[in-house]
Amino acid sequence: MTNRKKLQILNLEKAYKDKCALDNVSFDVIDGEFLSILGPSGCGKTTLLRIITGLISPDSGRIIKDGTDITKAPPSCRGMGIVFQSYALFENMTVLGNVEYALKIKRATRKHARQKATDIVDQLGLTEHISKKPYELSGGQQQRVAIARTLVLNPDIILFDEPMSALDVSTRLMLRKELKAIQAEFGTTMIYITHDQEEAFALSDRIMVMDEARIVQLDTPDNIIRSPKNNYVRTFVIDNLQAKIDSLANYTVLPLNSGQDL
Amino acid sequence: MESSVKKLIPKRSKPYISYLKHITDSGDIAKLIIGFIFVVLVIIPLARMLMHIDASSFNRVLKNVMFPTAVLNSVKVSVIATAITLLIAYLLAFCIERTGIRFKGILNIILILPMLIPSISHGMGLIILLGNNGVITRFLGLRTSIYGLHGIVFGSVMYAFPVAFLMISDVLRYEDCTPYEAAKVLGISGWRQFQSITLPYLRKPMISVIFAIFTMIITDYGVPLMVGGSYITIPVIMYQEVIGQLEFGKGCIYGVILLIPAVVAFIFDFLNKDKGNMSYVSHKLEYNKKKLVNFLSYSICALVSLCTILPIIAFVILGFTKNYPGDLSFTFSNIIKSLDMEADQYLLNSITIALLVSLIGVSLSFFTAYLTARMKSKMSKFLHLIAITSAAVPGIVLGLSYVIVFNQSFIYGTIAILVMVNLIHFFASPYLMMYNSLNKINENLESVGQMLGISRLRMIKDIFIPQSMTTIFEMSSYFFVNCMMTISAVSFLATMSNKPVALMINQFEAQMQLECAAIVSLAILTVNLLIKALVYFAKKAFLYNRSNI
Repeated sequence: MTNRKKLQILNLEKAYKDKCALDNVSFDVIDGEFLSILGPSGCGKTTLLRIITGLISPDSGRIIKDGTDITKAPPSCRGMGIVFQSYALFENMTVLGNVEYALKIKRATRKHARQKATDIVDQLGLTEHISKKPYELSGGQQQRVAIARTLVLNPDIILFDEPMSALDVSTRLMLRKELKAIQAEFGTTMIYITHDQEEAFALSDRIMVMDEARIVQLDTPDNIIRSPKNNYVRTFVIDNLQAKIDSLANYTVLPLNSGQDL
Repeated sequence: MESSVKKLIPKRSKPYISYLKHITDSGDIAKLIIGFIFVVLVIIPLARMLMHIDASSFNRVLKNVMFPTAVLNSVKVSVIATAITLLIAYLLAFCIERTGIRFKGILNIILILPMLIPSISHGMGLIILLGNNGVITRFLGLRTSIYGLHGIVFGSVMYAFPVAFLMISDVLRYEDCTPYEAAKVLGISGWRQFQSITLPYLRKPMISVIFAIFTMIITDYGVPLMVGGSYITIPVIMYQEVIGQLEFGKGCIYGVILLIPAVVAFIFDFLNKDKGNMSYVSHKLEYNKKKLVNFLSYSICALVSLCTILPIIAFVILGFTKNYPGDLSFTFSNIIKSLDMEADQYLLNSITIALLVSLIGVSLSFFTAYLTARMKSKMSKFLHLIAITSAAVPGIVLGLSYVIVFNQSFIYGTIAILVMVNLIHFFASPYLMMYNSLNKINENLESVGQMLGISRLRMIKDIFIPQSMTTIFEMSSYFFVNCMMTISAVSFLATMSNKPVALMINQFEAQMQLECAAIVSLAILTVNLLIKALVYFAKKAFLYNRSNI
């Protein structure tokens, strides 16, 4: 992994009416890494994701991608993709229709849309479902369609907003592996928002712990476990993780990314 | 990529430009314009109507000896008819939704037939069946008269029960059945189950139904005009004052009186709505399979079906016999007679109005619902409220207020004004259907569109409209059917050149040409049935296509 900065977040601030959602948030995202943003609900992580993608604009601060200031660029020009917890698929279209829709709309990509969409659908193992509608698919399959829909536009960053919260445990484990495989294959930088400690540790190269609109700690999973920055990280991250592992221990071996036994 | 990004960053824009951009992005300008249209077409006419009331007509109304009686009569009729309607509608809804009886499909069609003809036809149906010379009166040799309180109650129940039936069926269909199973396991008796599970669940929706039905009955003039006899109600007085004597000032006072229950119902309904309306069925209750229950269900359904079909049979008998009751031989002469009196022209008026209202109404309610449901901002709440306000205005009151505002203007006497008044009158329900349907579509779709670089308009065309097609079909049929059968909002506005056919019934009845009135009622029923069937098959074809692409 090269340590080239893919994304620089500089002093982001965002407040709603009376509540501060982001308080002077700055960090870098390294090219090709898997970065999890971990925090309880209401800590500002979804606001952060929406600002990075351009769906909302910050009160102040800057976003630099590959050396270019994109703070005010429209979402579709940022080379990013987003995957939501609720899939947000186009229910009236088939799997193929969902994937090729964005390509078909633009003149530049219209010609090879079908071919490209079919390829991506293939790569994500959805070929047998290609002409099904979303309601005929399982949750895991729907989420893969959502991923395919963003991948087809060749984003260099994909952001995930708690994409697995609606799925059952076994599907999650499977989808985790697939996410890592996709990352290996496409080299996409992934920013993954979750409130699930175990998930963050299983997937990430680095984890950013957030609380009350601020970054608490940003480090590798190993370092966070070895040297938690403060009491909050100790209780919210490590204790919860331990509890989850204890309760799951009877059922499955956790594919911990760090390979470290807790 | 980078160069394209750089180009897209706007140069330091002036604050007012970014403010303007904010307004257009949130759709606030469109919301303001549509909101303004509703203010102009609902609030201003009502205000003008209130301003039209003067002291002298107020005094004359109060001095009228009939006035207190009419108020009392109206309340009495409406209370009795509402109670009976609810009882019958609940029983029927229970039979259809909660028992294992067969023929539910056909029953569902028969039971809503009365919704497809004007209220005035129900009154006329009663006269044909039970009037002094009626089919049943003669057949059984009855001596009683249909005119009076019981006649109005009977006719009003006929007119209102399909609406109540549909509303209650909906409530029962979406009731969660887990509590009943829990109760069964605990060995709680049926009656106790009804008391402690059904009643609390029904309370809120039932209040809405009660208010809706009560308002519907108390503001109707069709039934009491036909079978009221000397039993005078407020809408009938209002109708006679305005149509017969051109006493607009007095009409306005009666209008305000009719506005009261409707506004109370509206406010109550608005406050009474369950937040979010999240009820869903975890699974359906197993049907009651007791023989006695099935037998009772069949009997109730058969009896009510008979009552809904009888008037229609009566229309057919009267419309297609030479000279009822003297000469019962089959003939088309009544159709020809109706055509001679230009019934076809009026039918064409009605169809034109209905088509235009469906077309404009569907577009306007889709657009409004999109603005309120998919582009939420403070302005959305205002628009939503103003868009459903028209539901608080009874048609007859809306019609009167339109006469007062528009009778000097160029659109008076044209089809346009009838299109406008019907559009406003029937707007709230289809709008709410669309609002609910758009609200249910995934909230992140707009974000997905922005990320993929798909414009809002494109998303509407490719995603939102296709996903709302079934609702769009239902909306168009609602607008169409109601425009065909309404006699309330249009009654004061129609002139000889734009009169809809439903108003002919009254005219024919007054000319003692009941057979022509029967033909007209049948014509309205036929057109509405055709439209219902068309929408049904269009919906089916659409769903079939959708699952096969």
